[in-house]
Amino acid sequence: MEKIKLPVTGSGYYEIRLESIGGLGANLCGKMLGELGVKYLDLNSASFSSYGSEKTGTPVKGFIRYCDKEKEIRVHSPVTEPNLLVIFHQALLKDGGVWAGCNENTEAIIAIEEGQETDALNVPDPIKACHVVKAQKIAMETHSRINVVMLGAMARVMGFAALEDVNQICADALGKKYPDALKGNLEGIKRGYEEVKRIEGKDSQAVSLKQAPKWGYETAPIGGINPQFGNTVATDLSPSRQGYIPLFIKERCINCGMCDSTCPDMVFQFAPGLYKGKEMMVNQGLDYYHCKGCLRCVEVCPVNALVRGVESEHPGKGYFLPNKDLLHMPDYIKAGPDGYVTSESYLTEKRMEGGEV
Amino acid sequence: MEKQIREYASGNEMAAIAIRQIGYDLMGYYPITPSTQIAENLDIMRANGESDLIMIAAEGEHSAAGICYGAAVGGGRVINATSANGLLYAIEQFPVQSGTRYPMVMNVVCRTVSGPLSIKGDHSDIMFMLNAGWPILYAHSVQEVYDFNIIALKLAEAVRLPVVVAYDGFFTSHQKKRCYRFEKDEVVWDFIGPKKEDYPFLDLEHPITVGSYMNEPDLINNRYQLHLAMKKADDLLPDLFKEYGELSGRTYGKVEGYKWEDAQSLLLLLGSSYDTALEAVDKLRAQGKKAGALTLHTLRPFPDKEIASFCKNAVNLLVADRQDSYGAKGGNLSLEVRAAIQRAGGIPGCTCAGESASDGGAADIRNIRIKSLIYGLGGKDFFVEDAIKMLAWAENQESPDFAYYGVTKGENPKEDSDDLFFAPLSAEKTRTGATRVEEKDGEVQVSGGSLNATAAVPKRLAPGHGACPGCGIPVNVNLLLRAIEDPVVLLFQTGCGMIVTTSYPHTSFKVPFVHNLFQNGAATLSGIAEICYRKQKKGEIPAGDIIFIMVSGDGGMDIGMGSALGTALRGHRLILFEYDNGGYMNTGYQLSYSTPKGARSATSHVGRAQYGKGFFHKDMPQIMAATGIPYVATAAESNPIDFIKKAAKAAYYAKTTGTAYVKALSACPLNWNDKPATERRVIEKAVDCCYFPLYEVEKGKTTLNYDPEKAGKKAPVLDWLSMMGRTKHLQNEIYADVVKDLQEEVDRRFARLKAKAENPVL
Repeated sequence: MEKIKLPVTGSGYYEIRLESIGGLGANLCGKMLGELGVKYLDLNSASFSSYGSEKTGTPVKGFIRYCDKEKEIRVHSPVTEPNLLVIFHQALLKDGGVWAGCNENTEAIIAIEEGQETDALNVPDPIKACHVVKAQKIAMETHSRINVVMLGAMARVMGFAALEDVNQICADALGKKYPDALKGNLEGIKRGYEEVKRIEGKDSQAVSLKQAPKWGYETAPIGGINPQFGNTVATDLSPSRQGYIPLFIKERCINCGMCDSTCPDMVFQFAPGLYKGKEMMVNQGLDYYHCKGCLRCVEVCPVNALVRGVESEHPGKGYFLPNKDLLHMPDYIKAGPDGYVTSESYLTEKRMEGGEV
Repeated sequence: MEKQIREYASGNEMAAIAIRQIGYDLMGYYPITPSTQIAENLDIMRANGESDLIMIAAEGEHSAAGICYGAAVGGGRVINATSANGLLYAIEQFPVQSGTRYPMVMNVVCRTVSGPLSIKGDHSDIMFMLNAGWPILYAHSVQEVYDFNIIALKLAEAVRLPVVVAYDGFFTSHQKKRCYRFEKDEVVWDFIGPKKEDYPFLDLEHPITVGSYMNEPDLINNRYQLHLAMKKADDLLPDLFKEYGELSGRTYGKVEGYKWEDAQSLLLLLGSSYDTALEAVDKLRAQGKKAGALTLHTLRPFPDKEIASFCKNAVNLLVADRQDSYGAKGGNLSLEVRAAIQRAGGIPGCTCAGESASDGGAADIRNIRIKSLIYGLGGKDFFVEDAIKMLAWAENQESPDFAYYGVTKGENPKEDSDDLFFAPLSAEKTRTGATRVEEKDGEVQVSGGSLNATAAVPKRLAPGHGACPGCGIPVNVNLLLRAIEDPVVLLFQTGCGMIVTTSYPHTSFKVPFVHNLFQNGAATLSGIAEICYRKQKKGEIPAGDIIFIMVSGDGGMDIGMGSALGTALRGHRLILFEYDNGGYMNTGYQLSYSTPKGARSATSHVGRAQYGKGFFHKDMPQIMAATGIPYVATAAESNPIDFIKKAAKAAYYAKTTGTAYVKALSACPLNWNDKPATERRVIEKAVDCCYFPLYEVEKGKTTLNYDPEKAGKKAPVLDWLSMMGRTKHLQNEIYADVVKDLQEEVDRRFARLKAKAENPVL
């Protein structure tokens, strides 16, 4: 095997950071990349995900380090200055924080949607190069998943991993247990590899979302007490959605309250009002800041006043109504709740089986 | 050297591989992050028929330790794995095991001890084990996790003491690295050798008594024997390391050092940070600075002589503690290192460290200057730059002897009132009259409670929590609370419901809320309720009804069942509310006692040797009913009006009489592996197949609130099982017996309920 010349920078490692959302398979992708290094690229490698209690739809980071096989990987900390930054979902671009630590050595790959204007991407300067791939579209067409499409795209951009090696690592991970799914996944890898394309960055500054003031030992209430009751309301959960939203057709609504009884996210804003001349609680609208797109409400609505819609087709959402109990509008400071990955055995399996999560 | 296979694996995976290769008899365990994956990986091996390890999922760590102790007394080879508060919950068992001298091995995957609850890694748990009488090996790399697991058992059986293998949670347990294992299990067996029992417990011809009642003058002798065993371990370890090194090519010492021989400044740290420090040492050496690093492989016995010999040429020693022995001016590691250096003849009075440094030559241990820093608590990342700064701290003449590294003062928050997003929920706001409860002729009756009317009751939970899309927990909590119009005080036991709502510095609660660990929520709420009633009586807080509610998952009702039963038996006026999603979902879905028989989980995999969970779901409402509390009910979101009425009744009883218990079946799309949108239908099917019958036991009298047979909706249990990915495999004919068993159990329980409903005496 010809020895790979890794394009390492100051740290002595080639470092990759994955920015993703729970459920898109970034954890497995990181694991495959790590194994790829040790098994097929004759490198040493290490990989891990951000840790915590895994919940679907929450931001997740993955980290991979490569180095020559003679070198030990002695660093356990997250990748702060990536050689390769991979963004699995464009919703993550809402927070410029995903670009943290990127510099002139960084190449980026962004998963974009069909028809999306790449001009609108807020790619900060300077980075070495930015690439895009229509990962969702390719995944749907090949019956694969976003993570393998991104894997193919990454192999192309990294430049030191051959397509057949990536295919092999995918076959190792999925082939034995899920032979039926393998063909589509290999096709997904191939198309990711072929269809990733470079775009020109703009001279724009990444804008980080506003952060709440940080408490420290002089300012935090003792004992971890939190007196700011209900302040999760300042969280924008829209990145948790996976493409669909409930649409509200108010004319059909009979104000039965079934939606409100099934919504886990307090989205429905009922207030005293008149319905057919009768005083009752009336559904005023939906708080889309906090809707995670589970569509429980669509399922239970007896009169189809709530229907499933593709979010990108409804940029101006009808009956968008922020939480009615708010004293003042928050600066929506945080994209997505805290979330990480701890366990993988069961979750990885069932997601490969196509679980709807 | 024996042939080895390259793996790309995490610390937890390598621990499981070692455990499988050793061929243990039994594992007693209770899932706790970050150690859980060990049991999960072993369960996969079991399901695939690669291991015949008996795996017993205890209802809590205390019992897990008991199971292990029993199995060790019985003469088995026994393994356990735990972390943090799990370790502390079990801790009273550990001196029992060492004091009665039964060997076993326990992996401690180090994590911060709560509270506030943190799942990430530091050393605050393992340091509680220092006085337990167990040798403690500390692995700083994935490779060492494997190697030390094998060495540990040999050591344990040689000195007849239980042994801990500890390593860093997440950094070592979860990061995947290149590492090696023996190709042949026989190599491991030959190294460890056969198990010998001096006094076989199960030899009925020679009965023995274990666990005598022992006072003076004998106890001190027993303890001295333990001391001697620890000393023997100390003497034996170099031989074991050497022997293992010959097999593996990896020879360890009690202390490991890097560029220490001529180092002026040494950084000593435990666990994965040591690797990071090596990177720093290389950088400093490149600048011509004489830096070095040390770590320990054994915490017990403590390698005092070895530490001193590694330090003999150093001028400055910085010991970095990943925990604090609050008030002792250092973590346990630095305190013991200071003691070790003193024993070797060193320790200040010396003031001459600076002179030696300027000489650049070898110093004298008597002159070494030791400082310590507390760092990395709660898993705070440790970067190469941090290690460089620590070494600079060691050299700086002015820097304090002891400090916290990496704390932040914080920014000044805005005025409190500006920061609040909601007005407090006063009783006037919640008392809408949408649901009304009254007692007539000795019967508690609920009126109103429609979904439309109760939509007027402000939600006690704010949106923005981090539950998965479609999660049943907020749905059930909201259904419960929309029926309760009096002010509420909430206690959540550990679980998804708490994790997703209270991620600091955020909280979803708009009412007083407290979390306590799930062994103890009900007891804690008893205390809160009683003090409230007392304060009201004394006029210290306004009179008026307040409803105290504990919210727990089914996991909390396993480990915390004793506490909940105690609370019910004492009859405190409060509600115990259980959301039952049939598994330990917060830690990645391990089986709970409420998981349906046959269901796949991370600790009940499906494979050729295993069909999923092996025993029936726990009938918690009947257990609760047996305590004689005035109100027990089951509720389901598929019958929301019934749910609201039961919640209102529960609150009434909590207000007037005693403890009420309500259990709701709660959907978990992530781990049930079904579609978030359809969860209400899945719940409905669980009710219709009588897996989750809707009933109440009111003052001892059972009422069936919904009879699927009468409604013409009765379904086979398999219809429900087929709706979820976790149980779908049971459709396969090969599992027909499992389904039949479950169906019969469900039918039996339902028939009993019907009989109870028909006969008030029952």
